[in-house]
Amino acid sequence: MELTLLAQGLVSGVLAAGLYALVSVGLALAIGVIGVINFAHGEFFMVGAFLTYQLFVSFGFDPLLSLVFVAPALFIIGAVIYLSSIRYVLRAPELNQMLLTFGLSIVLQNLALLIWGGDPRFIGGVPYRSVGFQLGGVSIGLVPLGSFVISLALVLGLYALLARSPLGRAMRAVAQNRVGASLVGLEVDRIYLVAFALSALLAGIGGVMIAVIQSPTPTVGFAFTLKAFAIVVLAGLGNIRGILWASLAVAVSESLVATLVPNGDSLSNAVFFAIIFVVLIVRAWRTP
Amino acid sequence: MRRALPDLAWTLLLAAALALAPTALKALFQQASVSYLSLASNAMSLAVLALSWDLLARTGQLSLAHAAFYGAGGYTAAILARLTGAPLALALPIGGAVAALLALGLGSVTLRLRGIYFAIATLAFAEVLKAVVQQLPTGIAGGAAGLNVPPLFRPHFVPGTMQRWEIAYLSNAGYFYVYGALLVLAILVSIVAQRSRLRAAFTAVRTNEAVAAVMGVRPARAKLLAFVLSSSLVGMLGALEAERLGSVIPDGTFAISTTVLALVTPIFGGLYTTLGPILGAGVLSAIEETLKRTFAEGYLIGYGLVLVASILFMPRGLVGLAGRLRRRRPPSPPGAGPESGVVADASSGHGGEAG
Repeated sequence: MELTLLAQGLVSGVLAAGLYALVSVGLALAIGVIGVINFAHGEFFMVGAFLTYQLFVSFGFDPLLSLVFVAPALFIIGAVIYLSSIRYVLRAPELNQMLLTFGLSIVLQNLALLIWGGDPRFIGGVPYRSVGFQLGGVSIGLVPLGSFVISLALVLGLYALLARSPLGRAMRAVAQNRVGASLVGLEVDRIYLVAFALSALLAGIGGVMIAVIQSPTPTVGFAFTLKAFAIVVLAGLGNIRGILWASLAVAVSESLVATLVPNGDSLSNAVFFAIIFVVLIVRAWRTP
Repeated sequence: MRRALPDLAWTLLLAAALALAPTALKALFQQASVSYLSLASNAMSLAVLALSWDLLARTGQLSLAHAAFYGAGGYTAAILARLTGAPLALALPIGGAVAALLALGLGSVTLRLRGIYFAIATLAFAEVLKAVVQQLPTGIAGGAAGLNVPPLFRPHFVPGTMQRWEIAYLSNAGYFYVYGALLVLAILVSIVAQRSRLRAAFTAVRTNEAVAAVMGVRPARAKLLAFVLSSSLVGMLGALEAERLGSVIPDGTFAISTTVLALVTPIFGGLYTTLGPILGAGVLSAIEETLKRTFAEGYLIGYGLVLVASILFMPRGLVGLAGRLRRRRPPSPPGAGPESGVVADASSGHGGEAG
C-alpha cells in the first residue's frame, strides 16, 4: 500500500536523522566554538566503528558495552590530535585548516585500511540486531530506534550542556568572542581542547552505532564528513540548534527517495546533495 | 605585459625541452623510456590539474567541483566516440567547451556564495552531476558500468622495423606530446593571468569583492572568467585522460580524489603563482612514485603525512619556502632591481588573503 510505504520512508528517515544529527552536532561544535574546518571529523566516526568491531572480535564485547570504552578512547584521540596539529593552524586561513584536516583524514583512513582491510566488517552474533516490531504496517528495527534514542539524548544533552553548565557557557563565550573570553579569565586553549575532544567523542559514539546498523568500511568516515558538513552549512554555521531540523529534513528526504522512487537507493545520495545545493543557492539569492 | 617576457621565455624553453624529450629519453634509456614517459605524463597531468585549480582560487573561489569538470570532459570524449565518428582529437576542445559551459552555469548561480558555503555548493554540484550521469540511458552514457573509450594513439606493430616495446613507446610518446601541449597551454593561461591586469582584478576580487566593485572591477565577470578558463583546462585534461585510460565510469571519473589532488598540489607548491602548482606537481608525483615503491600497501599514509607536515611547517608552499630562504641572504647593494619572477608574487599572495 502506498501509504504504508510513505510511512515507512518517513519513519526510517526520522530514525536515521538521529545519527546524522549526532555526527553533525560534533562538527558544529568544532566549527562554531573553535573555528576549525575539520575534514577529518568523519574519521572519528569511522574509528569509533572499527574500535567497536575490534572489541567485539577480540573480546566479544557487546557494542553497547563498547560504548563505555570507545567514548573515552575517542575523547583522548581527539585531544591528542588537537594538541599535536590542530592548534597550530587555528589562526591560519581556512584553506590551511581544510588541508591539514584533510591530510589527517587520509592518514587515518589508510591506517584503518592497512589494519582492517577494505572489506565491510560485519558484527554478527549480536542478539538484538534483527529484533524489530511492527507499528501499523511499518516495521521499526530495535537497533535504529535505539540509535535514534541515544543520539537524540546526546544531542539534547549537548544543548543542555551548552545552555546551562559553566563549561557550556564558557564554550559559547569563546565562540562569540575569543579575545573577550580570555579577557574575562577563560582559558581559551583549554576550552578549545575540550570542545575538540568532545566533538570527537560524539562522532565516535555515532560510529559505535553505525557498526551495528551497517557493516563499516574505512571509507565510511569521509561520506559522513561530507554529510555532516552539508547539514551544518544547511543549518547555518554556528547554529547548533538548527542541526536537528536540518538533519531531519535531509534524512527524511533521503529515505523517502530511497523508498518511494524506483532505483532510489543510488539516487538518495544525489538527492541529499541536490537539496543542499538548492537551499544554499536560494538562500544566497534571497538575501538582499 | 612586459614583465611577462622572462616567463614566456622560460615557457618556450620548456616547450622545446618537452618536444625533444621523448627522442632523447629513448636514445638514453631504450625500453625504460616507456615508463619514464608514462611517469612524466602523470606529472604533467597533475600539473595541469593544479594550474587550473590555482587559477580559480585566485578569485577566492575555492572550488570542490573540479572533478565534475574533469569528468564532464572525460564523458564528452566517451560519448562523442560512442555516438559519432568524430576524430578523437576533437574530443579535447569539445570536452573543454562542455566543461566551460557547465562552469558558466555553476559559476553564475554561486556568485553570491563565499568560503565554505561556496565549497559545499560546488561539492554538492559535483555529486549531483555524477548521479545524473549515472542515471542517463545506458545507451548514451553507460550507466554505472561506464563506457569504453577508444585510445587516442593506436600505433601498429610492423615486424622487422621495430621491436615490441616500441609500440608502447610510440603510444606513450604520443600522449606525452599532447600532455606537454596542454601543459604549455595551461602555463600560458596562468602567465597571462599573472602578468596582465587580470592579476589585479583577480586579487581584488579575492581580497574584498565589495571594494573591488567600487574600484571598477566587475567581480562577476572576473569570477566567471576564472571559472571558465579553469574548467576548460580541466575538461580538456579529462578528455585526454579518458582516452589514455580507455574508459570512463561514474565512480572513478568523478572521483573526489581528483578534486583533492587538484587542491592539494597547488597549496603544497604555492598558491597564486605559476611555478608553485608545477613544482608541487613534480614533487608530489615523485614522492608518490617513491612511496609506492617503498610501501606497496600503505603509501597513501605517507602522502597524508607529507600533507600534514607541509601545512604545519610550510604554509606558503614550496615557493614560499624558496622565498624565505632567499631573504636570508645579505641585503643586496642599493641600485639592485626588485625581485622578479614568481617568487616575489608568492610572498604577497596566500597568507592573510584567503582568511
